[in-house]
Amino acid sequence: MFNETILKEIDDIKVRYPDVRSALLPALYIAQKEYGWLSSEAMAAVAKALDLPEAAVRGTASFYSMFRHRPAGRNLIQICTNVSCLILGAEKLVDLLKARYGVEPGGTTQDGRFSLVIMECIGACGTAPAMLVNTDFHENLTEKNIEEILGKYK
Amino acid sequence: METILLKNIENPNSAEISEYLKTGGYRNLSKALALKPKDIIEETKKAGLRGRGGAGFPTAMKWSFAAADPKFPKYLVCNADEGEPGTFKDRPLLEKNPHLLIEGMAISGYALGAEYGYIYLRGEYPFAKDVLNKAIKQAYEKNYLGDNILGKNIKFHLTVYQGAGAYICGEETALIESLEGRRGQPRSKPPFPVNFGAWNMPTIVNNVETLSNLPYVIQVGGEAYSKIGSKDCTGPKLFCVSGCVEKPGVYELPMGTSLKEIIYNHAGGIKNGKKLKAVFPGGISTPILPADKTDCPMDFISMPRHGSMLGSGAVIVMDESVCMVKVAYRALKFFEHESCGKCTPCREGTDWLRKILERIEHGKGREGDIELLSQVADVIYGRTFCPLGDSAAGLVMSMIKYFKNEIEEHIKNAKCVMSKE
Amino acid sequence: MITITINGKEVHLDKQMTVLEAAKTAGIKIPTLCHHDLLKPYGGCRLCVVEVERMPKLQNSCTLIAADGMVIKTESDVISKVRREILELLLINHPLDCPYCDKAGECELQDLVDKYGPTVSRYKEEKRQVPESHADQIFTRHMGRCVVCTRCVRMCENVQGASAISIVGRGNHSRMEPFSPTSFNCEYCGNCLTVCPVGAILSRLYIHSFRPWQVDKEIETICPYCGVGCSLFVQVRDNSIKRVIPRLGKGLNKGLLCSRGRFGYEFIESNERLKNPLIRKNGKLEQGTWDDALHLIANKLTEIKKAHGGKAIAGMASPRCTNEDNYVFQKFMRMACRTNNIDSISRTGFAAAQNYIEDLLGQGVTSNMISGLKVIVIGNAKGLERFKTLAVVPPVFKEADTLELLLTNIYKAKGVRGEKAAVDKMVREMIEKPAGIEIKEMDELVKMLLEGNSISIVLGMDLVQRSDGHRSLFAIAALTYLLEARLFLLSEKPNEQGLIDMGCVPDMLPGGRPLDIGDFKHKFESAWKGSIPEDSGLTLLEMIEGMNNKNIKALYIMGENPAFNLPNGSHIKDALKSLDFLVVQDIFLTETAELADVVLPALGWAEKEGTYTNLERRVQLLKKAMHSSTVMEDWKILADVSSMMGYDMDYASSEKIMEEIAKVSPLYRDLTYKEISSGDCLWPYHGEPLRGELHKVPITAGLTRDYKADLYLSPEKPLFHSGTLSRRSAALRKICPEPALKISAPHAGKLGLKEGDRVEVSTAQGSINVSISIDDSIKDNRVLLGNNFEGRGVYNLLSYKIDAITKAPGIEGCEVKIERKQ
Ligand SMILES: Cc1cc2nc3c(=O)[nH]c(=O)nc-3n(C[C@H](O)[C@H](O)[C@H](O)COP(=O)(O)O)c2cc1C
Ligand code: SF4
Ligand code: FES
Repeated sequence: MFNETILKEIDDIKVRYPDVRSALLPALYIAQKEYGWLSSEAMAAVAKALDLPEAAVRGTASFYSMFRHRPAGRNLIQICTNVSCLILGAEKLVDLLKARYGVEPGGTTQDGRFSLVIMECIGACGTAPAMLVNTDFHENLTEKNIEEILGKYK
Repeated sequence: METILLKNIENPNSAEISEYLKTGGYRNLSKALALKPKDIIEETKKAGLRGRGGAGFPTAMKWSFAAADPKFPKYLVCNADEGEPGTFKDRPLLEKNPHLLIEGMAISGYALGAEYGYIYLRGEYPFAKDVLNKAIKQAYEKNYLGDNILGKNIKFHLTVYQGAGAYICGEETALIESLEGRRGQPRSKPPFPVNFGAWNMPTIVNNVETLSNLPYVIQVGGEAYSKIGSKDCTGPKLFCVSGCVEKPGVYELPMGTSLKEIIYNHAGGIKNGKKLKAVFPGGISTPILPADKTDCPMDFISMPRHGSMLGSGAVIVMDESVCMVKVAYRALKFFEHESCGKCTPCREGTDWLRKILERIEHGKGREGDIELLSQVADVIYGRTFCPLGDSAAGLVMSMIKYFKNEIEEHIKNAKCVMSKE
Repeated sequence: MITITINGKEVHLDKQMTVLEAAKTAGIKIPTLCHHDLLKPYGGCRLCVVEVERMPKLQNSCTLIAADGMVIKTESDVISKVRREILELLLINHPLDCPYCDKAGECELQDLVDKYGPTVSRYKEEKRQVPESHADQIFTRHMGRCVVCTRCVRMCENVQGASAISIVGRGNHSRMEPFSPTSFNCEYCGNCLTVCPVGAILSRLYIHSFRPWQVDKEIETICPYCGVGCSLFVQVRDNSIKRVIPRLGKGLNKGLLCSRGRFGYEFIESNERLKNPLIRKNGKLEQGTWDDALHLIANKLTEIKKAHGGKAIAGMASPRCTNEDNYVFQKFMRMACRTNNIDSISRTGFAAAQNYIEDLLGQGVTSNMISGLKVIVIGNAKGLERFKTLAVVPPVFKEADTLELLLTNIYKAKGVRGEKAAVDKMVREMIEKPAGIEIKEMDELVKMLLEGNSISIVLGMDLVQRSDGHRSLFAIAALTYLLEARLFLLSEKPNEQGLIDMGCVPDMLPGGRPLDIGDFKHKFESAWKGSIPEDSGLTLLEMIEGMNNKNIKALYIMGENPAFNLPNGSHIKDALKSLDFLVVQDIFLTETAELADVVLPALGWAEKEGTYTNLERRVQLLKKAMHSSTVMEDWKILADVSSMMGYDMDYASSEKIMEEIAKVSPLYRDLTYKEISSGDCLWPYHGEPLRGELHKVPITAGLTRDYKADLYLSPEKPLFHSGTLSRRSAALRKICPEPALKISAPHAGKLGLKEGDRVEVSTAQGSINVSISIDDSIKDNRVLLGNNFEGRGVYNLLSYKIDAITKAPGIEGCEVKIERKQ
């Protein structure tokens, strides 16, 4: 269940659309922030706040790759390996992350510090290879600077 | 050429309304509000503006369908889902020049009789979201948005809607489903969104770049605008060049600039003095072109004649060291991952193509795999519900057309000849 | 008019439709997987491709609108090739486990592959692994077989309105799942089973127990549960029901079913079924012979009739029995027992409402089909989701006030002129008496009602069960008149309408002929060869009082369980115990049967033939699917007793009874079984219109109620149960095994109760022990309990006040105390 502040936030979103169902994606983002990931409990809270069927909430949530369906680490590394990044060496960076932090794509480090997700294009092809850490863009990555950048995320 | 869309973006404060106003911002909105809505559509028609989202559909024509529909309310949706791999042209507009888009949307909203606008922004652009929300707030404060814009009793409200990681939501009907809070799967057309779109009302979906052209159309008039670019494809176009070039980036050039010129004159040519091998001229959804086929004008009409498409104008440049099997495999992984699952050929076919390419890439290719690839691509092509499946098949077909030998060698040697290093 | 050519054949269409539909009208079948007649076009599977002249690519016929002049081919080499290739794609990840799959033999994918190929797959990669799920009580899921046609989800969301399942995941990871990973936790209508083209969702009731081609027979018949009267097939093997499936496109349900209809059939084979007559000896019921039992009844009834007159005998008919049973029942009561004391449980709602509205409008309910109109449901009517365009649920215990206010508003908005002047005066009186209640969105509601044309109003019976229920009915009748609407009463039992039509009411003869109109009476007397008792009889609750006053000495009950199904159960039991002689004819030894002097076993649904009349007044045929050697039809038992009492009745079959009904009843005139079996017989069939004269209609002033207690108890009508039958159906007990008291979250909080806590529920009538379930939809200070489980029905705890005018029991304002129990 959401607290009053969040319910109020969701209510403010609802009025922006002719139909409350539109508030579903925004509400899922809120739930994800609140619960860390979209657990059944989180989705049920969204269903309740918007008066939507739980199954419909889950169906929608599961369609989008930015909604997480299992717990994530403290920091989310979303690294792009699509063509523009690929041809400038993104795969090597992924290998480096795997080796350096012991994390597989889709997984989380033992200490819960990082989760790693392979992204389709993140719109930084001109400054490839690139990644998003949480909500920050990091571009023109190299095997050297990537560790330095990640060092800032505890 | 003077920059129109990317004007001022060197200014670190370009996203601030004060800076935008200094360079004449929102003046075109007040100019437009003095015109009749149908005159604005007429100017846009004269300008010859075509949609920048990929299909190049004449914008004024789309608008007039929606304007003619008596149903009310109407909605204006800005497609800021920019998801086509290789594309990053809308991002500077969103992050650095948001007021140009807001002004363009306010003008279009007025022209269309739409009082509510939504910017469907891809989830991967969290920074742009903050910038847009701030800019929208500023525009409300200055009365460029709201219930009574510039005291003219005209209403236009704007909301940013954040997508959540689904390429298919760039397709306009899937985008509408997503905006309605559903799984982003395309709807069947007809009926078209201009008649039955969001919440079943007339809805106009336009790309960020398309809408950002509007203030300029109003500023100089359709006639003058149409002088930029090539004959049937007018105006400035943003080209985003990535991959093996010296100076990757977004370039604002007249529509119809040749691909070769973009790569060599603007993007500084191939990196490290290597040789050009192949180019995706408009993102990976457009068929690949080999080095010797790059002498073509980049616009919506010429490109199909040269065996590809303009798409989003995302030029991905590959030099001689790049392995085509690897690229094809990665591209198919993308299409498989992004297939919405609605129609059989795309859902199952992309999976199959990906698996074959994966095998070849990993040195387990078999004899006959090329035939199989082309047969499976054939099964998909022309039979999918939306163009995504076609793109996947088209990519494989163009790879086989131009790089069959390379794939064959890959199968024969059970490894990549290129990536030895 | 649109003219198109399909496979060289010219087809004329009078309205817009897709090419696929157009082909269907011309008898041409185009293969589909994602399209289903019950669902809207989807366009996903791409199997329905056709060639259209002057169109470059193959077109999807399920989404393509037929345009004038189109020339279409639905089969060709190219089309076959595409279909083969699409099927190959569908099979690449399919487990190909037909030998083990229950769907084999009726699998649409299997049939299509059989027709179009392929025989060999070019796919050599590994198949996607999707685990099966057997965690739910009723459904199994084999998502490896799923072809992602989404029919099930669209059915659940758009048709059933339940939204219990959805597609999760994306692309080739898409699969159907309920919200919880284990249980479906849904309405269990099973309509997803109907539309699944493959074996992805299956019912556990029959899993691996037979093959579709191995049934002995498939009988088309009618559901035994409620008055919607859904049309269905019963599939039988070795004299046992294997499964129930709907009849696509037939009846009011048009191919849909609810949980009770689809899964509630097991009661018929329950080992609790009565097999032999029971006779009370020395205070105990003991097994007896048919001969002894029938003679005992005939003698006892004759004795009482002689000593006290027919008025000392009363009879309860059954809305679960057929028209034929009920016709013979009232004839037996009137002619052999010489009494008009005939009524039924329907007096608690349906019959009471119909009677009063008939007095008002000259016609009780419309006889017309519900579907296709704008349907407004007033009150509680679960399971009507698919028909509903609007639901109006007035605040509880304030129904009449609210409806009067609504009426006032409609009246004002519409203005009444001319021929509506008859209602004018009555309505005006109401307007002068402001109801003083605001319901949210009243204006919106008024607007919607006035905009709609051809409105159907469906009335939930909770509105009638108030001590001033007739006020609500009055308002509804006036609304119906003002809106020129069609009125339907929601019937909770399968044959409430038929029971009334057959004359199982104290004041009417079959066909709605009032007893006090001499002409009608004489007609029946000459047909029945005897005189009919003069005075109209007692209604149900008056009978109960009659028993308590010792005026009623003997009661004959056919297929009813008043000790459980009427409020204030202990009061009812006392009344039954005070009788000199009680006969109960039933399929189970019910709470009532346990009190009887003679209990007679009867045939049940699926074992006998006859007709039911549904709430649209559609007369439908019930067919025999199984046989029983020791038990008789209800009508046969009655005819035998009657003959023993000196009034001869001898029918060779139920069809013969219908022949007689069709002669004497103006509503069923000339109706035959042959015509009924078409499924489209709505009465009056070849009949005369109902009487049109307006009676003087009584109405009372509003009651002022004062509800100050913390909590009140109200009956609930749950989706999965109906009581006597459903609690003996294993599947329904699995879905809903236990009664639960529904309570709102705030009230549960106040009492410190959590979901599932056990509580003692007590009223002035008694107390029971149940668990609680927190229900967010309850917005007031009521707690709800159903009347479905032995010893734990809500009616035992409720008292009632009789509505002086409709004679229905008013169940309201029953204060309740709830305490936690370990
Ligand atoms: C698979 C697919 C993805 C698309 N992605 C985008 C996109 O990211 N951004 C965009 O503007 N248009 C995209 N489009 C095109 C839109 O459907 C639509 O044509 C466009 O938004 C119309 O705007 P325009 O007329 O201004 O070009 C996509 C189309 C398809 C079929
Ligand atoms: S081609 Fe079909 S499955 Fe693929 S994205 Fe479009 S609709 Fe979805
Ligand atoms: S039936 Fe037309 S696409 Fe499935």
